[in-house]
Amino acid sequence: MSHHTRTQNPGRRRGMRLAALVAAAGMALTACSGDSGVPGASNDDDGDEPPAAEGEATIRFAWWGSDTRHEVTQEILDNFMAEHPDITVVSDFTDWNGYWDKLATTVAAGDTPDVITQEERYLRDYASRGVLGDLNEHSDVLDLSNIDDSIIEAGQTDGGQYGIPTGVNAYAILADEQIFTDAGVDMPDDETWTWEDYVDIATQISANTDDGVFGAQDYGFNEPGFAIFARQRGESLYNEDGSLGFSADTLAEWWEISLQLRDQGGTPSASETIEIDAGGPEQSLVGTNSGAMAFFWTNQLEAVSNAAGRDITLLRHPGESQFERTGMYFKPAMFYSMAADSEYPEAAATLIDYLLNSEEAAELMLSDRGLPANTEVRAAVQDQFSELDQRSADFLAELEDEIVDGLPVPPVGAGEVAEITRRINAEVLFDRLSPQDAAEQFISEVETATGQ
Amino acid sequence: MSALGELAALRKTKGTKDTLSPSERGDNKAAIFFLAPWFIGLGLITAGPLLASLYLSFTDYSLLEAPSWIGVENYLRMLDDPRLHNSLVVTFTYVFVSVPLQLAAALALAMVLDRGLRGLAIYRSVYYLPSLLGGSVAIAILWRQIFGTNGLVNQVLALVGLEGPGWVSHPDYALGTLMILNVWTFGAPMIIFLAGLRQIPEMYYEASSIDGAGRVRKFVSITLPLLTPIIFFNLVLQVIGAFQAFTQAFVVSGGGGGPADSTLFYTLYLYQNGFRSFDMGYASAMAWLLLVIIAALTAANFFFSKYWVFYND
Repeated sequence: MSHHTRTQNPGRRRGMRLAALVAAAGMALTACSGDSGVPGASNDDDGDEPPAAEGEATIRFAWWGSDTRHEVTQEILDNFMAEHPDITVVSDFTDWNGYWDKLATTVAAGDTPDVITQEERYLRDYASRGVLGDLNEHSDVLDLSNIDDSIIEAGQTDGGQYGIPTGVNAYAILADEQIFTDAGVDMPDDETWTWEDYVDIATQISANTDDGVFGAQDYGFNEPGFAIFARQRGESLYNEDGSLGFSADTLAEWWEISLQLRDQGGTPSASETIEIDAGGPEQSLVGTNSGAMAFFWTNQLEAVSNAAGRDITLLRHPGESQFERTGMYFKPAMFYSMAADSEYPEAAATLIDYLLNSEEAAELMLSDRGLPANTEVRAAVQDQFSELDQRSADFLAELEDEIVDGLPVPPVGAGEVAEITRRINAEVLFDRLSPQDAAEQFISEVETATGQ
Repeated sequence: MSALGELAALRKTKGTKDTLSPSERGDNKAAIFFLAPWFIGLGLITAGPLLASLYLSFTDYSLLEAPSWIGVENYLRMLDDPRLHNSLVVTFTYVFVSVPLQLAAALALAMVLDRGLRGLAIYRSVYYLPSLLGGSVAIAILWRQIFGTNGLVNQVLALVGLEGPGWVSHPDYALGTLMILNVWTFGAPMIIFLAGLRQIPEMYYEASSIDGAGRVRKFVSITLPLLTPIIFFNLVLQVIGAFQAFTQAFVVSGGGGGPADSTLFYTLYLYQNGFRSFDMGYASAMAWLLLVIIAALTAANFFFSKYWVFYND
C-alpha cells in the first residue's frame, strides 16, 4: 500500500539540520523552558501601587497554611478592612513548602510583603539581612502590654524586635485512643513513660492490630523532636550563640531508637514512611486511623482530629522524667513581622496589632496560629474554644510548670536544617547510613549551613 | 565549534544568492517575519537575565541582600560539593538511560502508525497526549499515587502474587520511575519520526523487495539510514530537554530530590540553592555549568553526527 506521497526534498533535509541547531541553541539558553510548574502559586497581586487617595494604604499580608486557615484569615482581614476603611489588605497565601521559595523571590524582587508571617527557623535569616523592620519603632500603634515578656523575647534578635509570636505551641504526641483500645494496650502514663516504653507500646500495638495499622509514625523527619530528646539529656540542638549543643552519640541514639521501631514493626517500612511524611498532617497515620501515635505540634491537633474523625489525645514525649530534665518547650507557633521597606509601616503595624489584640480576630482564629499570645484575649475567647482547642489549652497549661526554659532563636541558616534532617533520616531508614555516620554527617552539614 | 562549522557548511551548500528565485526570497522574508517575535523575546526576556546570572555567578548573593563580588569562589566550591556531584550522576543517568529508550519507543510507534491504520489521526493524538501532559504537575501527582507502596501498580502486582516496592519512595527505584515517566512522553519525537518516515521514497522499498530483502533488512538498510537526520534532530532536542527536567522530580519528591537525594536532578539542586539556601550566587554558577555541559554535549552530538547521520544531499 503506497498511500503516502513520499518526496525527496534535499532542501528540507538541510532545513532539518539547521532546525536542530537553532532549536538546540534556543533550548539550551532558555533553561527549564516550559517548566514553570512550581505548585502552590496563588494570587500574587502587586502590593506597592501608589496610594489612591490621601491617607489610604494598600498593604500585602503573606501567610502559609491549610485551606481552613486561608478562609478564616480572609474573614479576619475583611473585618479589619471594615474597621479601617482607609487600609486595603491584599492576601498573599500559599502552602508551607511554596511559602519560603516565594517569599525569598518576592524579597529579591524588591516586592516584600508588608506584613510577613515568619517562623523561628527563618526569622534570623531575614532579620539579619535587613529585610524585617524593628517593631519597637511602632509602639504607638502596636500594643504589646498583654503579651508575656518571655514570649515577646522570642522575637528579639540582632538587636531588634523583628517578630511578635502569634501564639504558643508545643511539640507533642497525638494519640488515637481507639487504636490503643483495639490493640488491648493501656494508654501510658505520659508523665513517667520512658523511651523504652514508647518502643514497647508501639511494637505491641502493631502486633495486636490488623495489617496496615501501626503503633507509631516515624519521628525522624523533624528536628524539633530531636531538640527535645537532646534537652532531656541536658544537651540542646542549638546553643545561644548558634553553635550545636549536642554530641553525635545522642543523635545516633535518636536514630537507633527509630531503627529499632522500624525493625520490630512498630513503625511502617521506610518506603511507606516516606510517603506518609509527604502527606502532611491529614495523611498521617493518626489522621487516617492507621496508627496510634505521631509527633505533631499542638496547633495541628484540630487538623489531624478532623482528618481522623476521632477523638485524639495529647501526650507528653516519652522520657520527660527519665533523664536529667524535661525536654519539652513552648515554641512561638509563628511570628508576625513587618517589611523594613514597607511603604505604609503605620498600616502594617495596625494590622499586626489587630491580629494580636483584637478579640474579634481571636474568636475566628482560635488556636490555629497557636494559643493566643495575648493573655487577655486568650482568657476572653477561651470559652469559645472547641473541645479540641480546649484540650490543647489545658495540655499547655499543665506543661507550664514542667518546662524548664525555651529555645534560643535558631541561627541563620536553620531553615536548611529541616531539609538536611529529612534527607539524612531517609538515608538512615533505608540503611544507607548507620546512625553514627548519619549523626556525624548531620553535624557537619548543619555546621556548614549555619556557618559555624 | 563544530556546530558553527555545520552552519558554515550549510551556507556553502545553499549556493549563491542569485540562484534563489523571487518566490524563495519571499519565503525567507516571511520566515524572518515569523521568527521575529521569538528573536525579540530572546533579546528582551532571555538575554538580560542570562547576563545578570553570569554576573551573579561571581558573587555571594543571598537574594535578601545586594550581591557582593567573590570572584570564582562559587566555581571552586563546585569541585568540593558532594551533593552537586551526586546530582550530576543522577542527571546523567537519567539522560543517558531515558532518552535512548524514549527515542526507541517513539520510533517503534511511529513505524506502527506509518503502516496506515484506520483512525490513524486518533491514534496519533492519543499517543501524543502524554507529551503534552508529561511535564505537568497533575501527572506527577498522579504518578505519585499510582506508584505508591499501596498504589495501583503494586495492587496489580499483588494479584499475581508479587510484592512491589515503593516505586517513588524507595531510593533504589525512584529515579527509574521518573525515567519511565520520561519514556512515556514519547509523543513529540514520534510525530517527528512519522513525518520523517513519510519522506522516505517508496521506490527504495519496492526495489529492495524485488531484490528479495526482508523486513529487517529494509529497516536496517533503508529506513534507519534515511531517518538518521530525524533521529539526530530528536536526539539533540531530547537530550537538552532531559537535562532540564525539573517538574516531575520536584513534585514527586516534594521539592527535596528525595528519597535520600536519589532524584536530586541538577536543576532541582540548583533551585534548592537559589531559593531555599539563600545562595543565588552559587545557583547562578551552577546554571552556567549546566549551560556549558549542555553546549559541550550538543557540540559533541553535532561533531559525531558526521559519522552516522546521512543527509542524502
